[in-house]
Amino acid sequence: MYIIGIDVGGTNTDVALIKDDVVVATGKVPTDHDNLAESTAAALECILDTYSGQESLKLHLSTTLCTNTIIEGKGEPTAVLAVPGPGMRIEDLGLGFAVQILEGSVDHRGREVAGISISEVHDALKAASAEGTAALAIVGKFSHRNPAQELAIEEVAKNAYPEFRHITLGHRLSGRPNFPRRLSTSYLNAGVAKTQARFVDMIQRVMVRGKDIGPVFVLKADGGTMTLEDSLIRPVETILSGPAASIMGARALTAYPKENAVIVDIGGTTTDIAVQIGGEAVFQRQGAEIAGHRTLVPALFARSIGLGGDSEIRVLSEEADSGTARLEIGPKRAGIPAALGGSRATPTDAAVTLGLASIGDVERARKAVAIIGVELGYGIEEAARAIIDAFTNKLTKEIEDTYAYLESRPVYTVSELLASPDIRPKAIIGLGGPAHVFIPKAAEAIGLAWEVLPRYQEANAIGSGASRPTAAVTLHADTALGTITVPEMDYVGKLRTKRLFDLEKARTDARQWAYKKGRSLGITSLEDIVIIEEESFNMVRGFYTTGRIFTIRAQVRPDVRRVRAAKIGGRSQ
Amino acid sequence: MRESKHKVGLIFFPAFDWAISPDHPEREERLLYTRDQIMEEGLFDIPGIEEFRPAIASDAQINRTHICVPSTSEVITESHRIAAGGTITAADLVLNGEVDRSFALLRPPGHHAMRVVHGSRGFCVVNNEAIMVEHIRHTYGPNLRIAIVDTDAHHGDGTQDIFYNDPGVLHISLHQDGRTLYPGSGFMNERGGPAAYGQTINVPLPPGTGDEGILYVLEHLVLPILAEFEPDVIVNAAGQDNHYTDPLTNMNFTAQGYARLTELLSPDIVVLEGGYSIEGALPYVNAGLILALAGLDYSAAREPDWSEDKVKQSPRVTEAVKGIVGQLQRMWSTRHDVDLGAVFGTGRVFERRRQIYYDTDGIMEEQLEHIRLCPNCSGWRSIYSGATRGLGRATLIAAVLIPWHCCPQCRREAENRHDANAAESRFRHVYLQDVEKDVFIGS
Repeated sequence: MYIIGIDVGGTNTDVALIKDDVVVATGKVPTDHDNLAESTAAALECILDTYSGQESLKLHLSTTLCTNTIIEGKGEPTAVLAVPGPGMRIEDLGLGFAVQILEGSVDHRGREVAGISISEVHDALKAASAEGTAALAIVGKFSHRNPAQELAIEEVAKNAYPEFRHITLGHRLSGRPNFPRRLSTSYLNAGVAKTQARFVDMIQRVMVRGKDIGPVFVLKADGGTMTLEDSLIRPVETILSGPAASIMGARALTAYPKENAVIVDIGGTTTDIAVQIGGEAVFQRQGAEIAGHRTLVPALFARSIGLGGDSEIRVLSEEADSGTARLEIGPKRAGIPAALGGSRATPTDAAVTLGLASIGDVERARKAVAIIGVELGYGIEEAARAIIDAFTNKLTKEIEDTYAYLESRPVYTVSELLASPDIRPKAIIGLGGPAHVFIPKAAEAIGLAWEVLPRYQEANAIGSGASRPTAAVTLHADTALGTITVPEMDYVGKLRTKRLFDLEKARTDARQWAYKKGRSLGITSLEDIVIIEEESFNMVRGFYTTGRIFTIRAQVRPDVRRVRAAKIGGRSQ
Repeated sequence: MRESKHKVGLIFFPAFDWAISPDHPEREERLLYTRDQIMEEGLFDIPGIEEFRPAIASDAQINRTHICVPSTSEVITESHRIAAGGTITAADLVLNGEVDRSFALLRPPGHHAMRVVHGSRGFCVVNNEAIMVEHIRHTYGPNLRIAIVDTDAHHGDGTQDIFYNDPGVLHISLHQDGRTLYPGSGFMNERGGPAAYGQTINVPLPPGTGDEGILYVLEHLVLPILAEFEPDVIVNAAGQDNHYTDPLTNMNFTAQGYARLTELLSPDIVVLEGGYSIEGALPYVNAGLILALAGLDYSAAREPDWSEDKVKQSPRVTEAVKGIVGQLQRMWSTRHDVDLGAVFGTGRVFERRRQIYYDTDGIMEEQLEHIRLCPNCSGWRSIYSGATRGLGRATLIAAVLIPWHCCPQCRREAENRHDANAAESRFRHVYLQDVEKDVFIGS
């Protein structure tokens, strides 16, 4: 079977063809933002020489489309109806978009405290409609515990206001708490739905050798895939899939697939640090952040720092106590390296000076580095070494800070606090142009094994192709109220046998729901469902146990297809 | 999000896997709904509000405050170390300047734990605030003046006991009148020991006191006293059981009242104490308190079932509160005029005998305490304590306490007394607690 991995980036569209577990071709074309279907088809042309045309084909697509739409503020105007109830004032949330506040309130256990006013809902919808708004987000506080009020508002909108073509309900996007993030996530989702719908329509018309392209999967910020149909309902999940694709590429290609490892992607302007623990990527604690919006979109953890081959180098004044001058690298970009015609020395020029990289004009690089050398009172080589050392020091410090941050993430049980798992890396997985210069030095400084992945330029497309489906559900059961909810599946039920509902039953149910969600993604076995979080509380009222509360999060086991890069065909435009 | 006015460090540790017993009020579930509320409100996303992991308190840190019998490690669990350690973290964050204010939103509580600890009383084993105060003085300077304002509905008897002869600490406890509630103490005539007379202030409030009454006490009594005492650090022992929905008390305080109290008091460090209306009060009180601490608008942080009628304070209560405040104002302003000889005697030592009941563990303690009435320092202290569990035989211990700024004469006497205690076979254990030299001997 063949998988085509595509990463539609801001500048280029990268493509990789994977046959079973071998990358057989890669390619690159410029992204045409006005005609994505065409540039995507052009990308496919790059690798189709290698495809027999007979075997089954599957497309994995990572696109920057929704990301860009959000960053450029080009989403559809969206009306946001919120049911906040008591708590923090909406106007203090600094959401960056207007919210219409409605009556109604649900409490932390999902009990309706105050009802919504249907006439008020009509008024709000009429007002939004009068402004010609077609996208609508409906979000309640604690709607993940009880979505009834969101659903009732949706009902009104669907029945009486067909002009709202894209309606997003908060509870369907995530089973996790955080009302402000639910608002932002829903707002963004509704706003990009039209853009994504147009894109999906184009993709469905792309043909390969006169045939349909086969099943298409879309990459998400968590490094997993969803179906093309799901991307119409939850387009916001495709944000930041580009960086996720690179991380997945590293995980697909690494020699350390099951270890604790740090993935360091050194680019021209930034270095991205991601973390793998026991063969699984670490996630952001709450969700992705984009263009100032905090969301509930599950995303791979990555720390981006202003440090790269094109970073600015500054000489700081002498430190009184040490008597040595210090170099500061980044966070600003200096421009292209002097070796390539830039005006100032960059870390790349230092590498070129020392013969560690062969890029552009060595003499130009040396001249630029010499200027730094004069300021430092060093010769050219000495200055170049000092730059490389300063870069490496900053990189190792950032890696250390990343782990210190992850280790200081709060935990809420005594057992977790006393027995924190060892997350420290055994190896650095390096990628990016300057990686071969800095990764070995950083690894030596920290005392780690290391590797630099050879095909870093295609890692994003390979990662896109190598990604696997992900899907998670949150089951919340409250036996005192007799309620059970799975918000992601839009399920609200009654527990018929409250007394018999125990932790084991909660786990089984949660796994079944995750399996149900995973089946459309090609999951064929319950074995592939894992429970990642569980809570179970006895509820005591007046010294008697009145019930139990269970929250179980189950998901399709996140995985990556391990691939190797054999002799690679394909071409670039 | 709107940035907070004050940078707030939150040490949130609900100890979801620890309970005194499965159906005890101090159980796993206690902060569950608070967690749900503050997560759903997105409070941790507010720029300027940051969450920190609690430290774990060491024996040495606990032994600066307590005499645990037989030893610290034998009376406490890891969760107590984390609650005390998290409170220490709260102090460090503020005193290092990392944040402006901090809130140790954690359990189990501590304000009923006294100097000598034979077991658990009032759901407390060790005193989180007191351990923190000694950590502050040990780490940041012994001359720092610290004010503790205990707003739990129960008298902060443990904290009072620990600091009642400590001139560096002001302890004000607002609580439901001890004639109507555990622990049955905290009356106006409890005013502190000979070296800190007047610095223990008890405000016993009539049942039914609401926002109006508590805020009246704050504005007319607490704030003026604080202004005069000029503390370097203000600590709020923030029990949340004055709430109108609390099952163990009879008060009428609301989330809005707690938030306003926090705004008025402007504490540096807030430490959660009791509060067992885990669904009706804690989620809303804590959300309001965090917003107020951060200097943000808390006007919408209220209980879903709140109504003005429900929490209205009766005119009778209002009058009673005004009367109590008036009396305490006079007591505060005339505290230096009191003839201490008449209160504590004119001999070499002041003696007090007490019985202390440990409700949680069913222990009865008999205690005899001697405070050296010294003209040059606050005086060394000697404690003899016998504890009986059920019908068992009493365990008798002797402890000697050397205070901060102890004079050489007192130090000599104290050390001699400890040596003499150690030679006596009737004491099962003898202890020497020297906060000034940071020495603790227990055998």
